[in-house]
Amino acid sequence: MTPASEPCQFGRDGTLMGMYHGVAGHAPVGMLLCPPLGQALMRTHRIYRQLATGLAARGICALRFDYRGSGDSAGDSLALDWQHCLADIRSAAAELRVRSGCATVIGFGAQLGGSLALAAAPAVGFTRLILWDPVLDGARHVAELDAWQEELRNDPLHYARPRSAADADGQWLGFPVSPHWRAQLSAWRAEPARIPVLIVDSLPEAMAGGWSPLVEAGAQVATMRPGTHWGDLHRLEHAILAPDLLRLVGEAVEQAA
Amino acid sequence: MMAERAFRFGRARHLVGIAGLPPVAHGAVGVIMLNTGLMHRVGPFRLHVDLTRRLNALGYPTLRFDLSTMGDSGASAEADSREQQIRADVADAMALLGSQAGCTRFVLIGLCRGAQSAHIAACTEPGVAGAIFLDGYIYRTAGFKLRHYLPRLLSPARWRGFFARKLRQVVAPEETSFGSVYPPRGQVRGELAAMLARGLKLYFVYSGGIGEQLNHARQFRECYGHGVAGHPALRMDLLDGTDHTYTLVCDRERLFDHVEGWLRQQFPPPKTAPAG
Repeated sequence: MTPASEPCQFGRDGTLMGMYHGVAGHAPVGMLLCPPLGQALMRTHRIYRQLATGLAARGICALRFDYRGSGDSAGDSLALDWQHCLADIRSAAAELRVRSGCATVIGFGAQLGGSLALAAAPAVGFTRLILWDPVLDGARHVAELDAWQEELRNDPLHYARPRSAADADGQWLGFPVSPHWRAQLSAWRAEPARIPVLIVDSLPEAMAGGWSPLVEAGAQVATMRPGTHWGDLHRLEHAILAPDLLRLVGEAVEQAA
Repeated sequence: MMAERAFRFGRARHLVGIAGLPPVAHGAVGVIMLNTGLMHRVGPFRLHVDLTRRLNALGYPTLRFDLSTMGDSGASAEADSREQQIRADVADAMALLGSQAGCTRFVLIGLCRGAQSAHIAACTEPGVAGAIFLDGYIYRTAGFKLRHYLPRLLSPARWRGFFARKLRQVVAPEETSFGSVYPPRGQVRGELAAMLARGLKLYFVYSGGIGEQLNHARQFRECYGHGVAGHPALRMDLLDGTDHTYTLVCDRERLFDHVEGWLRQQFPPPKTAPAG
């Protein structure tokens, strides 16, 4: 029987909140689930929980967590910082190794969680990455978020009258954004990883440029349907459903094992 | 050390929550936040996190947690109705905050379905001293219909929109709505009256995002009558212009100011416990 998940606190002064999904007996392989940010974090909470529970049932321990300034972890949303996020992934991987004793850690992440897992991979020592619709071009993502925010303030299903630019300024879909974070995100450009990478592609429309430069470096791509509408203004509070995700991830992990 | 602690708790150790534990004098009023819709305890746009931390800074102990089967919480394996589960979960939450912060009285806060959960628990749980219902129960009244339909009858643009919607429904039927079903108005009115008679303090805050359900502040009185709406222990505010989940930061700040103001007035914050 799979043990129940346990809430945990780790990092300096216990500022990071997480949920550890242990397994009965020894777990040679563990998976660190790096969350996305903003509303995507809220919308993927359920699927991350399902994924971690499913992995634990297959004998793979898993840790879910929130970065500083996001979710339940300490810090204001405005304090988000790329380097802190990478440090938090390192802390979370260490926590997973200590709790489970696993020698092999696979990194998983959706959207910006995938980007951060990719960026953190060398320092963390991930043996493999599974990236779900990762953001590979920060500047393009920033432009997309700006466009969604502009659409939001003019959306008649949210507001009877359009909201002023000042009311909506400095935010992306419900979250305050510091100039520092905006600049860090704009500067993000993915570089190929030196480990096996599987990209789970659920974008409704093909992205310009595809999954370059990861595919050129050997990353595999698995298409998942139905597509995921990450920026749908009318589903900001809706959980993202991905019935095929556990199967795709499970198969990838079994191949790796 | 962070002043928040994660707990697994409850009668079957099936609930997960985060307690904010400021150093307070024994017997402070604890504030418990319930799930908004089906979202986990963090709330839309981190609303629950930001609000509970703001209340912690004032000295209120808080708990944001996931009800049975929501967020990170599991099922209790009891064959209870959903209402019984909610009551038992809230009782477990009060017991946790009581053991961790010495609270004996509690204020529940809930948005949308969270307000409905707060209503269910406030009906029977003796530890509940107050509740803040964000977009809680409200029913369309004759006044609502007059205000809603009369301007439309006289507007050619509205008629064009009406026919366009009807045509769209024929061509592409809309998705089924899974909105919650309200209990009869008379039942809710009676339950609110009973809460007030027991000495509970109630605060209703409505957003501007439920225009299909509420279109004027006076609708609350039309809906529940003077006995409830005019009771000195009940207050109602309409935050016009906001959307249902307070997506914009300035709207959330406006909401937080209202919640803080009401709490300070009705349940003054505790004096900080002496260090050591």
